[in-house]
Order: sequence, then structure tokens, then C-alpha cells
Amino acid sequence: MSFVKCCFESGEGHDFLDSFVQKCTDPGCCCGCCSALRPRYKRLVDNIFPASPQDGLVKSNMEKLTFYSLSSPEKLDRIGEYLFQKASRDIYRRRHGFVIIAMEAMDQLLLACHSQTLNLFVESFLKMVQKLLESTDPQLQILATQSFVRFANIEEDTPSYHRRYDFFVSKFSAMCHSNHSDAATRDKIRLAGIQGLQGVIRKTVSDDLVENIWEAQHMDKIVPSLLYNMQTAEKYETVSCMETDTRDGAEESPPRLAEACLRELVGRASFGHIRSVLRPVLTHFDRHELWVPNDFAVHTFKIIMFSIQAQYSYSVVEALMQHLDAAGPGASDPRSRTRVRAARAAVLSNIVAIAAGDSVGPSVLEIINNLLTNLRASVARDSEKETDEKLYQEALINALGEFADHLPDFQKIDIMMFIISKVPSSQRGKSTKADAMLQTILLKSLLKVGTTYKTTELSKAFPAAFLEALLRVSGASEPGTRALLQRILHTLLDRHSNAPLLHTPTVDYAELGLTVEKCSRQDLIFVSKHGYAIFSSLYDGLQLESNTLENVEAIYTTLALLCIELASEETVCDILQLILAVQQSALSNPVLSVAGQCQLQAVVVSLTALLPHVMPLMKLDDYIRKIIDSRSSEAPHLLPPLRREYPQLAPADMPSSLPYLMIDQMAVCECLKASGVESARLQAASPYAGGATLSLAHRHSWVEAGAAQGRDSLADITAGPVLEPDSANSSPGVQRHPMQAESVSLEALRRAAGGPTEAEKREAERRKATLNNAFRTAPFQHLREITQPKYEIKDKLEEIFNSISEEPLLPASGSCSPGGQTKSYQQHVPAYTKYFPELFLY
Amino acid sequence: MEDYKFLFKVVLVGNAGVGKTCLVRRFTQGLFPPGQGATIGVDFMIKTVEVDGEKVKLQIWDTAGQERFRSITQSYYRSAHALILVYDISCQPTFDCLPDWLREIEEYANNKVLRILVGNKTDREDREIPRHIGEDFAQRHGMYFLETSAKEAENVERLFMEIAVELMEQAKCKELPKYDGSLGPINGKTTSVGDSGCCLRS
Ligand SMILES: Nc1nc2c(ncn2[C@@H]2O[C@H](COP(=O)(O)OP(=O)(O)OP(=O)(O)O)[C@@H](O)[C@H]2O)c(=O)[nH]1
Ligand SMILES: [Mg+2]
Repeated sequence: MSFVKCCFESGEGHDFLDSFVQKCTDPGCCCGCCSALRPRYKRLVDNIFPASPQDGLVKSNMEKLTFYSLSSPEKLDRIGEYLFQKASRDIYRRRHGFVIIAMEAMDQLLLACHSQTLNLFVESFLKMVQKLLESTDPQLQILATQSFVRFANIEEDTPSYHRRYDFFVSKFSAMCHSNHSDAATRDKIRLAGIQGLQGVIRKTVSDDLVENIWEAQHMDKIVPSLLYNMQTAEKYETVSCMETDTRDGAEESPPRLAEACLRELVGRASFGHIRSVLRPVLTHFDRHELWVPNDFAVHTFKIIMFSIQAQYSYSVVEALMQHLDAAGPGASDPRSRTRVRAARAAVLSNIVAIAAGDSVGPSVLEIINNLLTNLRASVARDSEKETDEKLYQEALINALGEFADHLPDFQKIDIMMFIISKVPSSQRGKSTKADAMLQTILLKSLLKVGTTYKTTELSKAFPAAFLEALLRVSGASEPGTRALLQRILHTLLDRHSNAPLLHTPTVDYAELGLTVEKCSRQDLIFVSKHGYAIFSSLYDGLQLESNTLENVEAIYTTLALLCIELASEETVCDILQLILAVQQSALSNPVLSVAGQCQLQAVVVSLTALLPHVMPLMKLDDYIRKIIDSRSSEAPHLLPPLRREYPQLAPADMPSSLPYLMIDQMAVCECLKASGVESARLQAASPYAGGATLSLAHRHSWVEAGAAQGRDSLADITAGPVLEPDSANSSPGVQRHPMQAESVSLEALRRAAGGPTEAEKREAERRKATLNNAFRTAPFQHLREITQPKYEIKDKLEEIFNSISEEPLLPASGSCSPGGQTKSYQQHVPAYTKYFPELFLY
Repeated sequence: MEDYKFLFKVVLVGNAGVGKTCLVRRFTQGLFPPGQGATIGVDFMIKTVEVDGEKVKLQIWDTAGQERFRSITQSYYRSAHALILVYDISCQPTFDCLPDWLREIEEYANNKVLRILVGNKTDREDREIPRHIGEDFAQRHGMYFLETSAKEAENVERLFMEIAVELMEQAKCKELPKYDGSLGPINGKTTSVGDSGCCLRS
């Protein structure tokens, strides 16, 4: 019937004539009946076709054609064109058997071609593929795809720059969405579509000059086509690496093949191209509403993380973070929007760990900063009842923790410093509800990061600026915030996993199974530098009227951990000095309720009882045992466990009426001496008291400071609005609020003072002086050394801090009154000068 | 046979269920498919027609109307020579969405693309959009207008033929947008091997 066949089947002459007259318009296509005049290449081509398509390609003749084309490569283009013409005709007449043979012949020629001559042939080869793809017959489409894939796998020496793949990308993407009524056929077409896309990617990805496959017009087709197939999987199994994937049948299942293709695409993406892949991914998840539930999103993003070149992995995190708040199609409903946001954040927390290992320097902070910014935005819009918003915040905090968990320890400290620098300070002035909430959330984040940090040396865990910031927050007005801060201290201090055992005060340590190790020289240096600041902040923390049971217990835990972690003869006096000061304050601090007084007494006895367990202090143990025994018979309310409420105490049972049940300083000194511990420092005056120790401002260390101070300063603790211990025996009702008339609590005084506490000021002064000195006297080279390594990250921090101090913490339009907030920020020294004074000294 | 002189890309858009696929099948295969399922993503059909004795190949991309496929379908607008925007004359909401579609076209298609508004399903008794309303809308937005019935084969052939004629005229007058390299490949020369696009085949 066809023009071609007439050479073999003379009986169908009329058919041939018919087609010749109507269709053969090519003047170069000579009449079939005078074959002798036909060019040799045409005869060779004609001969590869059998009489009946079932017989398949005539192998021997195909060899002749191949040989001919190799020896006369200049004829390749005409051979290709002729084959294409024949196939076109056969498609038109639906003689698919011959079409298949023509395609097979083209495949063989393509593979036989030498690379230099390939280009001559490729054009007609691709025309042929396209022609087949244009047909509605699935079989031809699949065949064409296979040929295309074969072609895609050939490495060309000189790719043709004018060759474009737009049609193939468009058509293969359409095939990926095949909706053929027969499921098996549908899957085959989809598989072919994916294979075709894979082929285009392989063909073009290595050489941007050929066709920039990363352009949006291509990625917007390729990526959704792959995802659409992936999402149809019955279940999502995420494996980190395809090569080690032992599941069978990746070649037969569209979801699996699509996944492999996505991995390949992502794996080949260079930095500039990542975004072109990620943007359509995010859009696809929005459009197809695949965030809630988010198992497919987690699956996909993990795959992306596993296959992306490691050094770029953070850009995935970045893209997802920037998308957290993006409006999806259902954006009009705020509830569903919050839910989507939470789901996205949960995806983030699932992948962030994979990125952490490969992130460096500024990109780490960028990620953290972004997470914090999102948290802040969430707090700003938070409404009390929004549980989804809470879920979102939790997901973000989890993401932070996950991320930090996989960072090296030195970066964790940087991150913690960064986070705490963002905690709004609330101890001065009234803090808004939003402030308190943000404080809590940031501290939760800090705690999350802190728990991933493994402390070895205290000085590394608590760089001066970080410690200072922590201690500043420890005086926050919200009891919940203060408790959270203590938990952060616990996790950073607790090197021996004792914290869970020391959750509540006790005097029976023997059966707890505490792990105690003698502290190192570095720790001693640390405590000699910063011990006073820490102890004095804990002391202050115990004096607050607003303390709850949790606050007191949390500070107990901190102190107990300090006892254990700093156990040494050098520090025992300092610790006892603090304990005794607390005991004294429990008797004299007018703002404390009776319950508060009892709680402090129990804490004091618990801490003292701990000391003999961390050091050989037999005598002290005997002494404290006696006190405990007496208390348990006479005043059990002065022993742990701590209670929220204490029964009404008779005046005689008030701690202040039981001086003989108190720990006596002289007795303790004797106990220490007996164990060979130098106790002179203990006899010196206590440095713990509000503004009494100003004169110490320039002392080098608090230890010396304490030693130098006269004993009379003990009285200073009780200076100010204070009840005479003896006069405390009036009715308990009055006792509870002894200062109601004057009503000036220490806390209130401090609030009113509005500046940093004396201790803080002193510390800052001292540190500045030391630092100044260091910078004046140290050789320049040395200064460079100490400042250089962290320079980059500090630069970044500074930049971020700058931006923070410029923008108000919460948008002015926020629901919670931002006035006081902004003001409190302006009052502050820019955060960076505070945290990095070093930066401003040279 | 590959002897066409022009290749034009035609993209159909419009709400789900307005009859885009039926129009294409009617035109390319001459049938009205019973129980036509919703299109997924994009579908592709080809048909060669003759205008003034010259062969014109129409590459027809039939897009899914469903929202969720919007992002992939948009990626096909860009290379279109003609965009057929379809609504259902018996379904007011499909007409009400037209401004949204125009916005999308504005954003994603070449600004010189030939735009045709089509009100489909004229065979239906329960018409909701009078003809003149559709006509007005088309005029206001500089679009060609036609009412069709894929079911009764009314105006379907005419729709595609007029597009072919118009595009061919444009091409001959070289009015068809010259897509320069900076815009990316749109015309045949730069799309794929074998496409000669809107240009005359040599
Ligand atoms: N009466 C009538 N029904 C039609 C006509 N065209 C299409 N339909 C019917 O409308 C329904 C949808 O037709 P489709 O062609 O699938 O619609 P579509 O625009 O392709 O829809 P999507 O692919 O989902 O975007 C089918 O039930 C058709 O039978 C028409 O001209 N007249
Ligand atoms: Mg459809």
C-alpha cells in the first residue's frame, strides 16, 4: 500500500500510484518502480524492511546499511531523512510494524555512528522520535522514549548548540500525567515520561550551552511531574541513598523511578540551580495541599537533603524556612494557614539535622536567625487559644534543637549566645505579656540547644559574655522564666548526669548514687573568675518575693550541681559562705513568706548535707547530721521535702525562734579545720548583700573580695527595711506580709533602681579593666591570634545584632502593647557592644 | 508526512469541566468522547490542517482545569502562539472566573499571544450566559470570541481553522512576535529539532 512497499509488492501497484500521486511531493524521492535509478542509500534503506512487518528488521541488509553509512558518513543525513519520511508515511497509514522497524534501524545507526559524524544524523533521529511521540498510540510513544533515552546516554564530543529540547520536556511531562483508562498502559506511559525526562536531564545538565535545563520553564514542568508520580506511592519509604536501595522494581514503578530521577536532578544541581528545583517543589506542595498531613513532604525533603551536594544542603533549609509563612491556596482561612505553617515547620525539623553537619559559619547563624525570627513573628500573632500556633512554635524549637544537635560544640555556644542576646530583658520596667512569652519561648529554644551541648570545661560552656547574659535573665520578673533559666544552667553544669537525682532537696544523698569527680584546674580558674557572679545571682534569686516552689527547688539543683562539679578544698569555703548567707537571709529578708523562709532553711540544710558527699568532711557530716536529727524531732518544717504551704506555725516554731537549729558559722569552721581545710575565708564577711559591697568594685576576684571584707558587713545583709529577728514572733498573719505598711520589697527597690545590679556592674567593670589591660599590654600578634578565629562569625553576629536593635522586637501593629517594649530597647546599650566589648576596643 | 509549512502551538485553558478536552477530541479525532474524565496535568494532541493550500501543523496542549495542577499548566502558557480560554455557557461560575484566568495569562503567557474566548456547550438548554455577555467580555479584553458545542460539533472546526488562518497571516506579515533569545525559546527554531515553528519551512 505504501510508496515504500511497491518495490517489493508489484501486485499493489494501484495503491502505490495512488499514494505517489497524492503524497509524494518530494522531488528527490524518485519513483519506486525504476529502482535502478534510485540512489544507493535509498535502496539500502528500502532493503532493511521485510515484506511483512512481523518478520522484523532484515538483519543482513541492516548490516549493509550500517557498513555503507560508516564508509560514507556524508550520506548519514540523507539516510536519516529518508528513514524519517518512510516512517512518517507509515504512521499516517497506521502501519506501526514498519514504524517500529524504522525506529530500530535508526537506533542501530545512531549507535554505530562515530561521534564526529553523529550530528549529521541526530536531527532526523530526533525528528523521528518527536514524530512518534506526537502519535496517539501509547506503543509508539513508549518506543520513541526508549530511543530517546538511548540517544541521551550517548556522550557527544561536540554537542549541537542549536538543538533544543523544549518539545521533549513538554511532552514527557504530559506523559508523566497520563490518564489512560487502562491502568497498566497508564503506568507504562508515565514510566516512559519519567525516563524521557531523565534522558533530557542527562543530555543537557552537564553542558549549560546546549540547553539550560534549570530554567523555570523546564523545571516548572519536570519537578511537578516527578512529584506527582512520587506522591502516588502507596507508602513512602525514605532511604538515604538509592544505590544501597535493595527494594526491587525501581524500573517498573513510576513513584520509584520518579524518586530516582529527582535524586539525580537534585544531585546534579549546582548552587545557582538549587532554587530552580526548590521553588516548583514548594509550589507543588502548596497547590496539591501536601503539607497537612506532611508525611509526603517529609519524605520528599529528606530525599532532597540526601541527594543534594552536601555543601548546598543549607540552602534547602533556607528555602523551606523562607516558605514557612508563605500563603498557600487556602490562605484565607487563618486556622488552616497556621496548621500549614506548623506542618512546614515540622518538615523543617525533620531535615534540619541533615543540613547541620555540613553548614558552616554565617550560614548556621542565618538559619538560627531565621528560625528565631519566625518564632518572634509567631509570638507576635499568638492568641491564647491557638493550639496550632503552639504546635508551630514547638516545631520551630524542635527544629532549632535538631539543628544544633548536629553542630560542633563550639558552634552551639555561639548559637546559645545568639539566642540569649535576643531574649528581651524584663527585670527593669514592666514587661508586656508578649515579652514574657517571647522570653519563655527563646529560653525554651536555648534549653533545647543547651541539652545538646556536652560540657567538658566550664569555661568553654560559659564564655564570659554568655554567662553574664544568662545571669541577667536569671533576675527576670516572671517566675516561670527564672525557673527555665535554672534548667538551662542545670543542663550546662551537669557533666555527670546528676541533675535528675537532685531535682528536689534532700538530706539523704547516700542512696542517690551521685557521680562525683574532683574538679580540674581550669574549673578552679573559672570559678575564681566567675564564681561570685554566679553565686551572687543565685543568692539574689532565692530572695525574691515572687518565687514559687519550682524556683527555689531549681536554684537548689543549680547549687547542688555546683557543689558537685566544683568539689574541691579551694571552693568549699565559698560554697559554705553562700549557704550561710542564704540561711541568714531566710531569717532576715522581710519579703519572704513563712513558707519561703522554711523552704530556704530546708535548702540550706540539704546543701550542707551534700558537701560531705563530695569531699571528705567527716566532722561536717557529723555536725549536720546532728542538726538534721534535732530538726526532724523539733522542727521538721525546716527539712526537706519542700512544701508549697506550711501549716500555721506557732511563734516558737518560727525559724527565727530556733537559733540552736541553725547552722553555726563557727562550728562549721571548726569542722573544716578538723578535716584540714583552710577555713579563714569562711570567717571573713559574707559578700552577699544588696548594695553593701560597692567598695569591692575593682577587686580582682570575689574570693579576695570576700576575704578582705570586714565581718561587720554581715549585718549589711539585713540592712535596710528589716525586721528584728526577735520581733518576728507576732501573729503569723502579720508575719506573712511584715512590710505591708511600708511595702518596699527588695525586689521593688531593685526594679526601681533600674540599672544593672551592683554585682553586675562590678563584674563588668572588672572585666573591662582586665580586658583593657590585656589589650594594652599584650603584643599585637597575640591580640590578632585571640581575636582572629572568631572574627567572621562575630562579624555576622554584629550585623544581625545591628538589625535587631534597629527593628522593634515586635511589630508596632502587634496585638500586645509594644510601647514599653520599644522603649526598653532604646534604653539599652546596643546589644553587640554589651556582648562583644572586645570588638570595640580596637 | 512532514511537509507542513507552519507549526503553531495552541493551549486550552479554563475551569474544570467546561469541555476543553471534548473540544480537542472533537477537532482532532472527530468524536465526542462519552464519560470524558478530568484531565490530569496536561494532554497533547496534534493535527495538521490546510490553509490556502498550505499545511499548518497545530500542536494542541490541553490543560487540566483543576486548581492543583495550576502551576504545571501555567508553565505551558509561555510557548503558546494561541490561547483558547473556555467557559461553559450553562455555568455562570466558569464565566465569573475569566478575570482570574486573564490575570494568569497576563502573568505567564507572551503578551502578543493570540487570545480566543470560547463559550462552550451551546447545545445545552439551560444557558446562563447570554451570547452578547460573552461577546462584550471578549471585546473589552481584546479577544476573539466564538460559541461552540463540542457535542454537536458546532463551530469547533471553525475555531481551530480561524486560529490557524490568523496565526498564518500574522506569520506571513512577520507580525508574529519575534521571540528573541532573551525571552527564551518560543518559536519553532528554538524549541526542538524538526519544529519549524511559525516560520516558513525552507
Ligand atoms: N452538553 C455538552 N456537554 C459537553 C460539551 N463539552 C463537554 N461536555 C461535557 O462536559 C464534561 C466535561 O468535559 P471535559 O472536556 O472533560 O472538560 P475539561 O474542560 O477538559 O475539564 P478538565 O479536564 O477537568 O479541565 C463532560 O461530561 C462532557 O461530556 C458540550 O459541548 N455540550
Ligand atoms: Mg480535560
